[in-house]
Amino acid sequence: MNTKMHVDSYERNWMIFSAVMLVLFAAAVSVAAFGLGIQVPAPEQRVDPKTVATDPNSPWSNPGLREVSPGVYDAYILAHAIPNWEYLPKEITVPVGSKVTFYVTSADVQHGFKIQDTNANFMVLPGQVSKLTITFKEVRTHNFICTEYCGSGHGIMYGAVIVTP
Amino acid sequence: MKQYQLSTGEKKFIGSHLLVAILALAVGSLFGPLQAFEHAGWDFYPYLKPFIKSYYQGLTVHGVLNALVWTTFFIMGFLTFNVIFGLKRPLKNPTLNKVGFWLMVVGVVSAAIPILANEATVLFTFYPPLKANWAFYLGLTLVVVGSWVEGWGLFMTYAAWRKENANERTPFIAFGSLVTALLWQICTLGVAVEILTMLLPWSLGLIEGVDPQLARTYFWFTGHPLVYFWLLPAYISWYAMLPKQAGNGKMFSDTLARLAFWIFLVLSTPLGLHHQYVDPGVSPVWKFIHSMLTFGVFFPSMMTAFTVVASLEHAGRKQGGRGALAWIGKLNWSDPSVAAQLLAGILFFFGGIGGLANASYNVNLVLHNTAFIPGHFHLTVATGVTLSFIGISYWLLPYLTGKKLWKPKWAVAQAWIWFVGMIIFSNSMHVLGLLGAPRRVPLGLAPYVPAEWNSRLFQVGVGGAILFVSGLLYLTVMLMTALNKETVKEEVEVPVAEAMQDPALSPVWLDRWAPWIYGALALVVIVYGPQLFDLIKNMALTSPGFRVW
Amino acid sequence: MAKKDKEDDEFRPSGTIAVLTIFVITLIAIWATIYMILVRQGGTL
Repeated sequence: MNTKMHVDSYERNWMIFSAVMLVLFAAAVSVAAFGLGIQVPAPEQRVDPKTVATDPNSPWSNPGLREVSPGVYDAYILAHAIPNWEYLPKEITVPVGSKVTFYVTSADVQHGFKIQDTNANFMVLPGQVSKLTITFKEVRTHNFICTEYCGSGHGIMYGAVIVTP
Repeated sequence: MKQYQLSTGEKKFIGSHLLVAILALAVGSLFGPLQAFEHAGWDFYPYLKPFIKSYYQGLTVHGVLNALVWTTFFIMGFLTFNVIFGLKRPLKNPTLNKVGFWLMVVGVVSAAIPILANEATVLFTFYPPLKANWAFYLGLTLVVVGSWVEGWGLFMTYAAWRKENANERTPFIAFGSLVTALLWQICTLGVAVEILTMLLPWSLGLIEGVDPQLARTYFWFTGHPLVYFWLLPAYISWYAMLPKQAGNGKMFSDTLARLAFWIFLVLSTPLGLHHQYVDPGVSPVWKFIHSMLTFGVFFPSMMTAFTVVASLEHAGRKQGGRGALAWIGKLNWSDPSVAAQLLAGILFFFGGIGGLANASYNVNLVLHNTAFIPGHFHLTVATGVTLSFIGISYWLLPYLTGKKLWKPKWAVAQAWIWFVGMIIFSNSMHVLGLLGAPRRVPLGLAPYVPAEWNSRLFQVGVGGAILFVSGLLYLTVMLMTALNKETVKEEVEVPVAEAMQDPALSPVWLDRWAPWIYGALALVVIVYGPQLFDLIKNMALTSPGFRVW
Repeated sequence: MAKKDKEDDEFRPSGTIAVLTIFVITLIAIWATIYMILVRQGGTL
């Protein structure tokens, strides 16, 4: 009974090459994640979507920017489809060089949150809080847009981070 | 040597799969170009108001019919053909397979009614708490259950064959088909649990709310292996049929082909979290582990690339092909089945590249839910898979009906038009995504579209128009073939390539099922268990339903 | 049953290497381009 595999030498080399290439890609990804701090969201906190926008103890009952220390901010942003597909607040303004941590949740359906030309790009789910931190190094306006289908107004749902000198 | 022949009843049964599949493709593909036209600023949806209420209802029809119905019906028909023809024996229990088929048909009708009534405009991912009519969820369940039942019919047939042929190697096309059907049984558990424990009772009013994070996790348990369920039937054809058609080539490595299928079985389910890299409620540790396993499942696709290209090269050399690349020209490009599958394969290379980028953990931050994603899957499922299935149908329909293929030259043209249209469409979608354009948005109307996107949006429309022409041409060829008065003189030959090395010489562990199945299940438990356990333990059914379309 | 032809023994898939070389160069170029966008856009912690 045969248990050995016959593998053509060209094909064997190709398989070795493929494996090495994939390992190198994995290494590059790891460097970006653990060396350069380009990470994906982690579980932050859970909330009740029915009360998150109204409960006075919830930061999202009064969404907006909070200065933690000079140049460091927390931005609490609420996404909702009802009544008219928008983020609250629609705009935030920060001076250039600011480090802003975004805490985003939804009061109704699933949404997305992508700040153009940055690595902030994540899902926004009712019941969960999505968190990533971005440092704004350029004086310009970055739109943030909804990237998950959230009903007929999905395409008009956006806001902006205005970075001032 | 005379080939094994299917009975008329078996041909009819497989043909009914093909009929439902092509009808779904016909209706679903009407709406694809409408999305593309909208991007270019030619919005036809206002004129469709009496029938189709919105862009998103159209997008739901397109996604459900093309990605779920066309694929599933074609695949179940093709797998059934491969098992019967490959094992050279009839189905063990044809009634069971018929029951499965009809369950799928009832499911499609049940899901189609609310979709057409604008009661299920939730797209083909149906993420809660968007809440569709219960008949939509019930319909999807019946499609899945029907495909399970058909799968059981195939497994019983294999078991009967194995009893009769204790020491033979499973013929490759049957082997690959059984692995595909088995993979589907394992991975669909996710969506079955999602619908049966959450969405269906919720849509019926039995429970108040759902947990959207848990629902997404169940969904993507099925959602990524779904891709391999689409892809593996095309791989079966590329490995074992296309080399024969392209110039009487042989399969370069039967052994590695089998090994690749086993790796797909083991690895294609335990990596679904790579669709959830940017979900808030999933641990980055498990996301990272799933990303490494995703790199792992890229490996058998690299093996497939080698074996398939080498088998084609064998065909090209046999036809007198020379040089490093010139042999490609000697392949049988005038056969529409060959042209369609070769072109599908070429674009699939690029689909694989985009897929690897999506799968690369944090690299996904650049691409997640941008237009890059539909750009990517129109190269994979809508070309690598769909154009290959179209190519297969160019010999399968004549085989099943005994009718001659109507105007083969037009069929060749159809494949090329698809190829050109898809290059234009998909390239512009990829670029738009890299520029930051979101997916699932009527970009012709979105208020934040910068001027630099406009030329690309126009190209999306042009690509869509070309694809529309190709789709119409395909349907015309199929319809005219079915109505063709000219019949084939002899039975259509089923193209099956021999292996270069006798499969009987391949190691026996490549023909053992149990270790691979246990391995697949164990890996699922190890890399999905902790995350699912955590989400279920903390399950919060706090999201009521919304109808915001 | 598959017969082993003499010409099959002599068949070396050199054209395959050519095709796949083009493929991997394209793959690495595209992947690296997107990876560089990621790195340019900076950290998220």
